[in-house]
Amino acid sequence: MRRLAIAFGLLVVLLALAMRSGEAPRADFAFINQGEVNTLDFSQMSWMQDFRVARIISEGLCRRDVLSKDYATIPGVAASWDVSSDALTYTFHLRDDARWSNGDPVLASDFVYTWRRTMLPELGSDYAKLLGLIRGGKQFMASRAEALKGFALDASIADRPAAARELWEVARREFDTLVGLHAPDERTLVIELERPVPYFLDLMAFPAFFPIHPPTIEASTTIDPVSGGLRLAPGSFEPPRLVTNGPFVLTRWRFKRDMRFEPNPHYWDASRLALTSISIPSIDDGNAQVMAFRGGVVDWTSGVSGNYVAKLLADKAAFRAEHAEAVAHLRAGGANELEIDQELPDDPRNHIHTFPSFGTYFYNFNCREKLADGRPNPFADARIRRAFAMSVDKQSLVENVRRTGEPTASTLIPPGSIPGYHSPAGLKFDPALARALLDEALAGGAMPEVELLFNKEGGHDLIAQAIARDWKKHLGVSVRLVQKETRSFREDVKGGNFMVSRATWFGDYGDPTTFLDLNTTGNGNNDRGFSSRRYDALLEQAAKTTEPPERLALLGQAEQILLEEESPVLPLFQYVQVYLFDAHRVKGVSVHPRQEQSLDLIDIKGDGKGAW
Amino acid sequence: MLRMVIRRLVQLPLIVGVVATLTLALAWGVPGNPLENPEGRRPAPEVADAMARQYRLDSFWGFYYSYLRDASGLGYLADRLGPGPHPPRPVFDLGPSLQYRDKRVNGIIADALPVSMTLGAAAVAIALALGVPAGVIGGSRAGRPIDHATTLLVLTGVSLPSFVVGSVLLLVFSLWLNWFPVGSWGSMRDLALPALTLGLPIAAYIARLTRLGMIEALASDYVRTARAKGLSEFEVVWKHALKNACLPVLSYLGPAAAGAMTGSFVVESVFSVPGLGQHFVNAVQNKDLFLIMGVVLVFATMLVVFNLVVDVLYRWVDPRVE
Repeated sequence: MRRLAIAFGLLVVLLALAMRSGEAPRADFAFINQGEVNTLDFSQMSWMQDFRVARIISEGLCRRDVLSKDYATIPGVAASWDVSSDALTYTFHLRDDARWSNGDPVLASDFVYTWRRTMLPELGSDYAKLLGLIRGGKQFMASRAEALKGFALDASIADRPAAARELWEVARREFDTLVGLHAPDERTLVIELERPVPYFLDLMAFPAFFPIHPPTIEASTTIDPVSGGLRLAPGSFEPPRLVTNGPFVLTRWRFKRDMRFEPNPHYWDASRLALTSISIPSIDDGNAQVMAFRGGVVDWTSGVSGNYVAKLLADKAAFRAEHAEAVAHLRAGGANELEIDQELPDDPRNHIHTFPSFGTYFYNFNCREKLADGRPNPFADARIRRAFAMSVDKQSLVENVRRTGEPTASTLIPPGSIPGYHSPAGLKFDPALARALLDEALAGGAMPEVELLFNKEGGHDLIAQAIARDWKKHLGVSVRLVQKETRSFREDVKGGNFMVSRATWFGDYGDPTTFLDLNTTGNGNNDRGFSSRRYDALLEQAAKTTEPPERLALLGQAEQILLEEESPVLPLFQYVQVYLFDAHRVKGVSVHPRQEQSLDLIDIKGDGKGAW
Repeated sequence: MLRMVIRRLVQLPLIVGVVATLTLALAWGVPGNPLENPEGRRPAPEVADAMARQYRLDSFWGFYYSYLRDASGLGYLADRLGPGPHPPRPVFDLGPSLQYRDKRVNGIIADALPVSMTLGAAAVAIALALGVPAGVIGGSRAGRPIDHATTLLVLTGVSLPSFVVGSVLLLVFSLWLNWFPVGSWGSMRDLALPALTLGLPIAAYIARLTRLGMIEALASDYVRTARAKGLSEFEVVWKHALKNACLPVLSYLGPAAAGAMTGSFVVESVFSVPGLGQHFVNAVQNKDLFLIMGVVLVFATMLVVFNLVVDVLYRWVDPRVE
């Protein structure tokens, strides 16, 4: 018995030792991100939480002034730039004092290196397509993909390592001759475009274009003799190897636990920073997130989810009602929602904030003549699509089902998010007209059972049930709900194996094409199989038009055709970002519908640092 | 004893190899492309092909061969003989995560496993501290009110799911009383509530085993002898009877400790503990093949090792066992 007691005592002592760790003091600003960061390799990023961290630790040629009303593009690593009169050549002049976190200067050739890597098909960058805007970019990517395929399938190569190295040499030479991307000297970057791109400067502030530190990456890159592709050893984008050029550096990353940032001593504009440390604890559970905010563990919680939200929003509405007069007065004076919150008295009920964002929740109609299993597809007829689109009560959907403050959407592009762009009206909720349209299209025939495909997570089931009820009620059709696991869902959508399916799209850059390109014939993300010659022609025409107002008018016309005539998509609501923070304490949160947050701009009131 | 240990250690790679093969075969069959972001942009087909080849996802046997080679340490040996990549790979290279592309599975496990092991060990300690006395008290007074009371408590402990226990503890002790922090990890205070939540069902099971063992032991001849010698009831129960009553608990502890120390998804998500349990679930959802394989192999290895440790302990406590 004594022996067992000894073993048990030992266990307890070991435990005490294991938990005796010195923790760093709480950061100036702690926030919960939208989810765990997937990668800090800017070339491979595609998640909102990754982009957010990218903007803390890195900087592109340009920045966006996310706190200004017009969302201006301002200088970043580039101090200035010239655009040729045909808008095809951009020359960026890099600032002399732009440095990497290890003290190396940021060179024009660093951008060339980064973008060449992003174009490599073996990297699978989600945004390589945007680099296809550069002259010769598309050709280079296609040629490299072709070469890799040939290499992988050619079993007759004897010395594969040497042949793979040769393959890479060829690709490098080809890049130099084909692609319009050059660094004539250390501080000058010349970019030639395939055609004028009115939003090109905006892209320069997009993380997919942020630079990576070539010596760090080069040291960990090998050439894979089996596939012929470049291969990066894992761990190059985390401390201690990570080298970046932004306002902060990532000093510690404990996966699924926390990230910690401290100011980059070599950052050219370090004097503007009002924080001396930032931390991002990983807290996934929606309830724990709210409790962490209430308990003061974090200052800002983004992407608040769960049943909490509706209750918190109702509390805030009650608080606002108590101050109805002040709110009306402030609103009349032109204050935005956040400014109103800042002016009202401090109250915990006022700590929740919802801002419309740059994403739309919509339904896809399959537009192909036949369904994947060969049955005729009723939704191939635009009249039927319009009828279904007009018989959804979106107002009731957001008020009774979602209850999280989303505005209804009648367009694909969130209204007001792109300066100078006028959104079309879209289709209205009109059950009588919808019924007539459906009857006309069916011409006495019967509407087959509609299959509505969605995935399990995220409350899509509740939305689908509400919409199925609407269709049953207003159109008299029966709807079968098909719920699948996310990845199977994704496969079905990709293969066109659905009648109606749920979808989401978030814009990447400040131009209507970030949404409209989705529906062009043959686009890789055109899940609907939609094809309209008129629509394609309008987009093509807009691409050739350099005058901004004229171009935006053409794009507006295209969206109008898309929504009011063809209806391959049924927009339901505009996403909102739901945040928890005390507006009397935390300053520097952007309210612009693009909803990019630059957290290096945050200033905490009363902490003795910064201007506030 | 030594022969048994050696035999078990020789069996270990064979068992783990079989587990790896079965897991890979099952995981491979899960629909969906692991390289695709469920909400994101879709790569062009030629890009998807190039990426799949890069990760050897284009053929099952190619993947199987290269995975086993790297994970078993043979890949490392081959590197040491040739020029090898830079920076060098770990000896047992479990590959990159497909979801977190710049992370090595080795690193993910190295971050999460110590957390889970600490939590699991604390849970086991709590379970022993609660379960054994409860079982002894119940077993030594079988059929009396105190026995019914402990049995009822034990049944409650077994039946209540940990997300209920966890949420209630969190609500009462963190939110209302503010005794324990939420969402942080690193001190004894952070350990208390999750360890209790994780330990309660184990404690209940231990109490049941101890109670049964106790009833049996108290009815045996050597206890009658001890009583006849005139030993006090305390000595009879806690010194003589408990020793034998504990043996079933000891054999249960092997798998229980392996289970507790490889993490629990529910407890980890309720208390935001950065442990290994979340990866079992998330890796499957993301179809992150390398991570699925990694966590399963770690679990299998720990199960074998803990059973071995328990067997060694067993012989140490009871030298009659062969």
